[in-house]
Amino acid sequence: MIISRSKEFKDILKTVQQRNIFIIGCGKCAAKQHLGGEPEVLEMKKKLGISGKNVVGCTVLSSACNIASWDDVLTQNPDIKKAEAFLVMSCGGGVSIISSVADKAVYPALDTESLGGVCGDTIVLEQCGMCDDCDIWLFGGLCPVGQCPKSMRNGPCGGSLDGKCEVDERKCVWDEIHTKLKSLGRLEGLKDIHPPKDHSKRRGRK
Amino acid sequence: MIREKLLSGKFTITAEISPPKGTDVNWMMKEAGMIKNAVDALCVTDNQRAIMRMSPIAACSALLQHGYETIMHLTCRDRNRLALQSELLGAAGLGIKNILVMSGDYPTKGDHPGAKPVYDLDSVQLLDMISRLNKGVDLSGNRLEGKTEFFAGAVSNTELTEVALMKLEKKIKAGAHFIITQAVFDPGKFSEFLDQVHDAGGKKIKIIAGIIPLRSRKTADFLNRNIAGVKVPDNVIKRLSSSSDPGALGIEMAADMIKELREICDGVHIMPVGTHENTRKILEMAGL
Repeated sequence: MIISRSKEFKDILKTVQQRNIFIIGCGKCAAKQHLGGEPEVLEMKKKLGISGKNVVGCTVLSSACNIASWDDVLTQNPDIKKAEAFLVMSCGGGVSIISSVADKAVYPALDTESLGGVCGDTIVLEQCGMCDDCDIWLFGGLCPVGQCPKSMRNGPCGGSLDGKCEVDERKCVWDEIHTKLKSLGRLEGLKDIHPPKDHSKRRGRK
Repeated sequence: MIREKLLSGKFTITAEISPPKGTDVNWMMKEAGMIKNAVDALCVTDNQRAIMRMSPIAACSALLQHGYETIMHLTCRDRNRLALQSELLGAAGLGIKNILVMSGDYPTKGDHPGAKPVYDLDSVQLLDMISRLNKGVDLSGNRLEGKTEFFAGAVSNTELTEVALMKLEKKIKAGAHFIITQAVFDPGKFSEFLDQVHDAGGKKIKIIAGIIPLRSRKTADFLNRNIAGVKVPDNVIKRLSSSSDPGALGIEMAADMIKELREICDGVHIMPVGTHENTRKILEMAGL
């Protein structure tokens, strides 16, 4: 799941200069996080109205990053024609897809943070570093590229103290990797020196 | 040369010095002048605590011209593998012989919190890359016209978890010749650290103990709060609090610590809070 955060409403108002707005929500990750599902879209509609904007319509696509065609969206939402701008309540993937097909200005209502997940009711951030070269099994299923702010592949930095990361309140993932591999009896592999990541895999794809 | 001195088993003294926040090197030169001939090498920091300063390569070059031996800090925070290697080739070209490698404090700790953190390599990978440059090949395997001859070191805290010790082993395996530790305040715990490193296969590695001369209780509290890996023990804080002259006591405690450590490790590294005005005195009191 793509983890996002709502932008401050005042920042959205500052960015969106047009008056006639069509709001597009997303039924997948954004809805699951209560950031871009139907209740949030309706709330946004209300707030924009109070702030003097004219919301010409709104919809929650089943997935903003996965549409059949713009014609399909238009057919189902004829009010779009009255809009001068779109406010998209989805991750950057959805905003980009809508931008690539819409013929008017598109604005994001969310900031896209990381690739995480949901387990029960808990949203977990920054699980995967999206390096395009996954070797997570070496680290007991805990990705150091995604979960260590310094993406360290050979152990913790000197800022890891008492199991805590130096950067913020998070736990040091290297402590967790060690605990996990120890419990699995697989500590030996951690002693190998892991080479730097090959970033050409990420951008050099044909 | 600290390489020869350390490898021949002589007790080695290094001291930390910061490049200027600006272009004026006068203060740095004055600091260096205060410890000229009292220390073997000046350890020049690389945007320490993520606060932007003059590059260590330029500061080292200026110090070399004035006859000082230097150890250039190199962090993984600000440069990718291309920049790290070209910086290292440049350093070798300028006559810099010693490199101290570290991850680097996270940008949000410093004065440019919005900077993009690089960390293309980690400290183990950087040490390994230096070993390759020393063999005359770059990280991609290309042959170099003229190889480097760096004496490379790593840093370490002195209280290590199992996984931190494992990383230190990798640093030694990747080519670290020496280790400079975070400040030592408890010789007993430091001795345990030495045993740990030696048991982990680092029998030949040279270990230089960090020394921070305390000036007051306030300094001790600041270090405990803000510097990762520094733990000033309660008994030291108590002594400073009850002293009528904590500055003099701090100097005395640093000298006593050096005397004690001299028996068990390969050198000391003086990191003053502020200036080196007391460093010469501390070393004299320690009998060095």
